[in-house]
Amino acid sequence: MPERILIHRAQYHDSAYLMRLSRRLAQSEGISEAVVVMATEMNRALLASVGFRSAELDSARPLDLVVALRGKDLAALERAGAECERLLSQDDRPAASGAAARPASLREALREHPQAELVSVAVPGEYAGHVARQAIEAGRHVFLFSNNVPLEQEIALKREARARDLLLMGPDCGTAILGGVGLGFANRVRRGPVGLVGASGTGLQEVSSLLHQLGSGVSHAIGTGSRDLSAEVGAMMTEAGLRLLAADPDTRVIGLIAKHPAQEVAERLHRLLAGFGKPVVVRFLGQPARSSSAGVKYADSLEEAACLAARLSGAPRDRLEDAASSGAESPVEPEASAPGRLVGLFGGGSLASEAALTLRSRGLPVEEPGEPLLPGQPLPGAAHLVVDCGEEFYTRGKPHPMVDQTVRCELIRRLGADPAVGVLLFDLVLGDGAHPDPAPELAQALEAARAARGRRPLRVFASVTGTELDPQDANRQRGVLERAGARCFPSAWRAAVGAADELLGVRGKDA
Amino acid sequence: MKNLPPENRNPLKIPQTVLHLGLAEVAQGARGAGVPVVEVDFVPPCGGDPRRMALLDELSRPALAARIEEANQQALKRLLTAQPHLVGIGRAREVVPGMRDDLFLHAGPPISWERMSGPLRGAVMGGLLLEGRAKDPQEAARLAAAGAVRFEPCHAHQAVGPMAGLVTPSMPVWILEDRGPNGADGRPRRAFCTLNEGLGKVLRYGAFSSEVIERLRFMAETLAPTLQAALEARGPIDLKTLFAQALQMGDEGHNRNRAGTSLLFRELAPALARTARDGETAARVLEFIHKNDHFFLNLTMPMAKLLLMATEGIPLASCVSIMARNGTDFGIQLSALPGRWFVGPAQVVRGLYFPGFSEKDANPDIGDSAITETAGFGGFAMAAAPAIVQFVGGTPEDALNTTRRMAGITLGANPSFAIPSLGFSGAPTLIDLRKVIELGRLPTINTGIAHREPGVGQVGAGLVTPPWECFHQAFEAFVAHAREA
Repeated sequence: MPERILIHRAQYHDSAYLMRLSRRLAQSEGISEAVVVMATEMNRALLASVGFRSAELDSARPLDLVVALRGKDLAALERAGAECERLLSQDDRPAASGAAARPASLREALREHPQAELVSVAVPGEYAGHVARQAIEAGRHVFLFSNNVPLEQEIALKREARARDLLLMGPDCGTAILGGVGLGFANRVRRGPVGLVGASGTGLQEVSSLLHQLGSGVSHAIGTGSRDLSAEVGAMMTEAGLRLLAADPDTRVIGLIAKHPAQEVAERLHRLLAGFGKPVVVRFLGQPARSSSAGVKYADSLEEAACLAARLSGAPRDRLEDAASSGAESPVEPEASAPGRLVGLFGGGSLASEAALTLRSRGLPVEEPGEPLLPGQPLPGAAHLVVDCGEEFYTRGKPHPMVDQTVRCELIRRLGADPAVGVLLFDLVLGDGAHPDPAPELAQALEAARAARGRRPLRVFASVTGTELDPQDANRQRGVLERAGARCFPSAWRAAVGAADELLGVRGKDA
Repeated sequence: MKNLPPENRNPLKIPQTVLHLGLAEVAQGARGAGVPVVEVDFVPPCGGDPRRMALLDELSRPALAARIEEANQQALKRLLTAQPHLVGIGRAREVVPGMRDDLFLHAGPPISWERMSGPLRGAVMGGLLLEGRAKDPQEAARLAAAGAVRFEPCHAHQAVGPMAGLVTPSMPVWILEDRGPNGADGRPRRAFCTLNEGLGKVLRYGAFSSEVIERLRFMAETLAPTLQAALEARGPIDLKTLFAQALQMGDEGHNRNRAGTSLLFRELAPALARTARDGETAARVLEFIHKNDHFFLNLTMPMAKLLLMATEGIPLASCVSIMARNGTDFGIQLSALPGRWFVGPAQVVRGLYFPGFSEKDANPDIGDSAITETAGFGGFAMAAAPAIVQFVGGTPEDALNTTRRMAGITLGANPSFAIPSLGFSGAPTLIDLRKVIELGRLPTINTGIAHREPGVGQVGAGLVTPPWECFHQAFEAFVAHAREA
């Protein structure tokens, strides 16, 4: 198939814009593949991995723009190339139109807005550290959404921030809520007495949404980035965040959510938390709870953490409604003895690992595939599968599944149609920054899967993370999924329990 | 950078303002909550070069950054307090420091005859004819190649020259003095520049025909003594004040000097009428000035040179003190490292060509006139000169944006050079090497385009930038110097 690689020297565009551009070009007639990226080392490797190679590409520099096209004939390539030129030249983002009012650099912005206490950074990881350093040196708190920031740089930045009494949330920080204002991917939740610190974006989203549903609320939620609790980083920002919450008059109960903390870090944090004099709830993801002591309660799931915090904060409820909405569940034929394999398809990484742990704790064999499930290949192994669609091998060159559901919907269609699969389990994470209306796409994919299966039943278990205040409205999203035959649960843990019960043939317990 | 006031330091509250860089979706929550979100443009720092990013971080360490900041403030203050005055005219051999009988000065960084471009060679040949050392161009070329004269940059002798910038011993030169508080050893600093020949076939574009040489003789024998007598009678002229007015009349001091030339004419005319040998001489001199819209360029250039000389020798100042081209190389110097050239290949000017000429006729960028941009006008004050915007290929909006963009790489503004179209804000002044490197943004220079063959002259005008090599080398050298300072 003919292909073409065009290099535009020194023409920088941000990745979100380029993704939109790539997608538009890929839809052009006769084009089978279109990749428009900056020629960073990583992107060049990506291009090579999909078969785009040229000497010119090898000598391209990080600020050069690469347009790589593959199509059915030269005319199609020609057309797409011209279309790309046209789109690039009429770049209509706000950046271009409001150019005069837009500061050209962080230094300029800091000079023009001396009152700004927070700098939010979502630029490519190789540059993010440099920008964050400038902000910290100017005495500003930083919300660092970018990932792929080298570990040594993270450690140096966090040391610098700690020395100046500043918060560095991130790198790889998905969520934060400060004084009720969400940053990154955050749900709109009631303000309330529970302060959260978390090294897991979706974990924080799940707990804050659940607190809202329980009638409680969140004072602040401080993200720390996924590596903060590693032995190397030593929980520098987790500790800083916890101390801030301990001193915060609006916070009566403290919640800590993190995945896989290093053992020595866990011990140190326990001693710190025990000395606060405020009730504390901890959820270490992917691990069973340790025994609680000295006012520090360890929960077994995100849901339990939210319920404990709600109880400690005197919320009107400390349990979620028992029943999942039963929805318009497709009737389970009694003669369908074995439901088949379960496949979990998750957008939230923490929710995926919590689901896997829940299924395993019920004695079910679960695998989390370390490579993508490709079309035309049989499903690996014989165990149930839990897939994190946010894994790098699914997201390379694409936005996160919480924003762009193309990959996940394709997996739902394909695996849902697979006769070996009988149960689908997935999450849906809402909030600012996420897909504006995700449920209809998922519902369509489910419908397609069902149509392909004919009469064989497909049981679908889903959870919706979010609130009725979110731009997508959690109730409306839930309604759409239910009409598509999914059983919707108020938490990811509960959806996993529901699916496990189905597989184990436990009936009528919660339905 | 000031730290936040204490009441703003606790992060656990609604942010007053969020500065956001990158994916817009990430700030959607804050926007939705009604918090002002300022979108900041992001370009990968240092063009994405990890080594330079690390060096820049080194310069950003608080203790060093504070010292650099202090040095830069001192540099800016010295530039702003300099008071360049036109005090007289003299013969180069007698007034330019270090000038010798066998020395020719030229624009840009040092260069040998072998590497000289067409226009500079042509000017050297013309100079040898003017000085009576050669009978014809062939002999002139032979003598130049044989090393009959030595070549040194104007900048090594407190001088500047447009295009080829040739200064030979017998040429008359303007004498400027800094009457501000920055004098060295109790004596005022001086800067020098030849008188502008006008347009068409002229030595500075490499022309050396007999009309060129005759004009140069007229300038030495009639123009210079007449002007000198008028200046003596009138007294020194405050050039900064004069140029400030010209800027508000549509000049930017590099490619447009019509207002400045007119103002100078008004300053000189009465004294000239009184002191000229006769009416006809006065008329010929005034006519010469009147016919040359660029007459004042040869005063804005040494004025810029004097302003920048005031910044030289401040050990940790990160600003640029010279940008100059010889038609082959582009060279810059730093205020912190006076005398040390950082050199890269001169670029081709993007611009409009006179009918019958095109880019293939163009010589690479040439001349000391980029000293105007270095001092904070010329291309940096484009917003003040809408009339020339079309000539350099653009709209008035482009002119405003050029000045705004240059504000992003400079240390501060010069309130003396106020730009009406930007609310009378001062022209962006003193190029900060660190900002050029970090933002990947080169200075914009307005310039004329010389024909690549000697003797043809100007073929167009346009915009040009320095080559990155100059700034990359200068940056490495500055970091090494700052480590030891």
